[in-house]
Amino acid sequence: MSGKELSTPIPEALMEGATARKGAGSGSLTRRKLSQAIAFGVFWLAGLLAVAALFWIVGYVLVEGFQVINVEFLTTRPQGGVSGEGGLSTTIVATLYLVVFTMVLATPIGVGAAIYLTEYAADASRRSKFLARLIMVARAGVEILAGVPSIIYGLFGFALFVVAMNTFTGGFSILSASLAGACMVLPVIIRTSEEALLAVPRSYREGSLALGATKWQTITQLVLPAALPGIVTGLILSVGRIVAETAIFWVTIGGSYRLPTSLKSAGRPMALHVYMLATETRAFDKAMGTAAILILTIVILNLGINLTSRYYSKQVMGRTQ
Amino acid sequence: MTEPKQLTSTAEVTIGPEQRPLIVTLIAVISGLGSLAAASLLWTQRPEDANTALILTAAIVLVGLGLLISWGLWTLKNWARTAVIGILGLVGLYFATLVVFDAFAEIFGGEQIVPLLKILKSSGLALLRIAAAGAVPLALVYGLIRAESYFRETTQEREVVDRSVWYVLIAAALSAVIIVLLIILFTGKEAWEAITVVGILDMVFGLVWRPGSIIGAEGAQLGMLPMIVGTVLSTFGAMVLGLPLSLGAAILLTEVAPPWVRELFQPAIELLAGVPSVVYGLFGMVVLAPIIRKVPIAGNSGFGLLNASIILAIMILPTVTNISRDAIRAVPKAYKEGSLALGTTHWQTIRQVMLPAARSGIVAAVILGIGRALGETMALIMVIGNSIAMPSPVNDNPLTLFLSTARTLTGNIAVEINYATGVHRSALFFSGVLLFFMILAVNSLARYLMRERLAP
Repeated sequence: MSGKELSTPIPEALMEGATARKGAGSGSLTRRKLSQAIAFGVFWLAGLLAVAALFWIVGYVLVEGFQVINVEFLTTRPQGGVSGEGGLSTTIVATLYLVVFTMVLATPIGVGAAIYLTEYAADASRRSKFLARLIMVARAGVEILAGVPSIIYGLFGFALFVVAMNTFTGGFSILSASLAGACMVLPVIIRTSEEALLAVPRSYREGSLALGATKWQTITQLVLPAALPGIVTGLILSVGRIVAETAIFWVTIGGSYRLPTSLKSAGRPMALHVYMLATETRAFDKAMGTAAILILTIVILNLGINLTSRYYSKQVMGRTQ
Repeated sequence: MTEPKQLTSTAEVTIGPEQRPLIVTLIAVISGLGSLAAASLLWTQRPEDANTALILTAAIVLVGLGLLISWGLWTLKNWARTAVIGILGLVGLYFATLVVFDAFAEIFGGEQIVPLLKILKSSGLALLRIAAAGAVPLALVYGLIRAESYFRETTQEREVVDRSVWYVLIAAALSAVIIVLLIILFTGKEAWEAITVVGILDMVFGLVWRPGSIIGAEGAQLGMLPMIVGTVLSTFGAMVLGLPLSLGAAILLTEVAPPWVRELFQPAIELLAGVPSVVYGLFGMVVLAPIIRKVPIAGNSGFGLLNASIILAIMILPTVTNISRDAIRAVPKAYKEGSLALGTTHWQTIRQVMLPAARSGIVAAVILGIGRALGETMALIMVIGNSIAMPSPVNDNPLTLFLSTARTLTGNIAVEINYATGVHRSALFFSGVLLFFMILAVNSLARYLMRERLAP
């Protein structure tokens, strides 16, 4: 890597810039040191401000939220109305259902796509021009999908799953929301799984193929297990996205605070509950409580990501050395 | 001497097809007879008004599959084993889901606290039900997994499996682009009515948004310019506030701060990226709005573009910081070392060598931040005030423009889609299409710049 870097020529524009700014370095050392101190001070200020904003928001929500969190809040259902009485139990359950069904829908497709793009795409592109184009289009699709804002997924899910596929999904329902949510996390899963698969050393595949295993055997029995922690990291990331998502579910899940009894019934996940409490009732304290639970969930998920990636670097990277 | 021994033991494990384990025989018989029984049930119990041809086809397919699988098991084909394990797993999952729905309904559905004993009882019962329903399939799956060595697979079959896997996987790989096409198709189709009835130009440059659901379809005016201006202004405000912060943090994390500070800041920024947007919105409503309201200007409600810009600035911070940090990190070490060797200070090196070298990456980060800000929805609805009027300064000072309430394109969709009908709904879909292509353009530009950086 470093050898390649050294041999790369410095871009011409850069050289021009350096010569043009020759005069800039001529200040006395004290002046240059002073300007460095000022600049670095500004960077420290920016970084500290960013972290301070985080601590203010997260700290405020947690402190305010924990004042309303108790067993009753956690285990009773919201009672509706303008005053926002009741707890949030049904929204926890709805969030759980949503996460499970979205991941069940998105994981096989996402991981499958990543396997194709890393393990088969190069061969296929070499074999035929048509396939090469198809794979380019597929990659572009992933890139585009990753940038689509959530309200567009919501609109799309509303038009396709809620309205057009009404008889199959039951209109506003957990199923419609899961389908729309799966579209949103698909690019996340594809990208992270692709990275994890690419990190598996080539020698694993070559060794297995040399023993006479087929490509599919190699993938399922060697490559996937080796990449598993990396893939799991991506899946946890997707779970976080679903838990945090509001806009999609606002237009696809129906928002009923009653407990969903089947995939075709409407529901209200926690994030949507925060929104509805804050905009339709006066119960800001309950909204804070729900938001605090949301933040705790995200913190736990982030911890999970850190642990898996630490384990991952030990397992895979350690073995290759 | 050990090697021949091992050879003989391997030979012993290789048992011919005539030594079929009991469990495989059992499943083969069950699947054959079971599919026959299920098909006859399907046929005899069909509803009066059902499509007979359809049900007959389904029954025949069911019998065919069942017999095929039992034949495959009988002749110890590996594909049959995989299929049975897959089907049993799906059936088990289905029953587990039903039980979980039931158990949760008992525990979480009430308005009163459910006593702990009752929770324990219902979850215990649920576990028992899962265990009871799952025992048979689990035992069968276990038996099949243990019986692996009995199953055979010819090279030809293996190749067929490999080829069908290839088709399944390329379908998965194309799923993303299919979804993109479906998004364009469905939002485009829904938007078509507004495009033909109102016209693109009238919508994009129209100054008044008065949808028919409010004043009747006759006088409906569907101009989106106020929302477009709202989106642009809130994004601009977020950039002005957020960029110095994000870029400063990025430089701090790559060049200035000691490693332990990086270790501390990194998780913080990751957490900032994960916090749900409604939490930011709630914070803006409850904390920022009262603070902004303290500015003594008539018409200042605390909600509006300033509040939205501050919230957005915090929301784009992780995106911009992470990508520009990567860009700065990707600058070859030789540039930095060469510059330092010439006797420049660290800051001179950063300003005159590293930042110019990372320029396209940093610009890409900024553009991706803009893309994020354009698409943000729920947090903005909560803090921007949602007025449909064109944002304008609340008094003579033009800077008070940012105290005025507004509405973004995204917010407009989210607020009205649930009750909109007819042309109004179609117009909302059109604003979705507009947004989609705006963000597509912005992101393509960012991608182009990042690619340029990768290939100097």
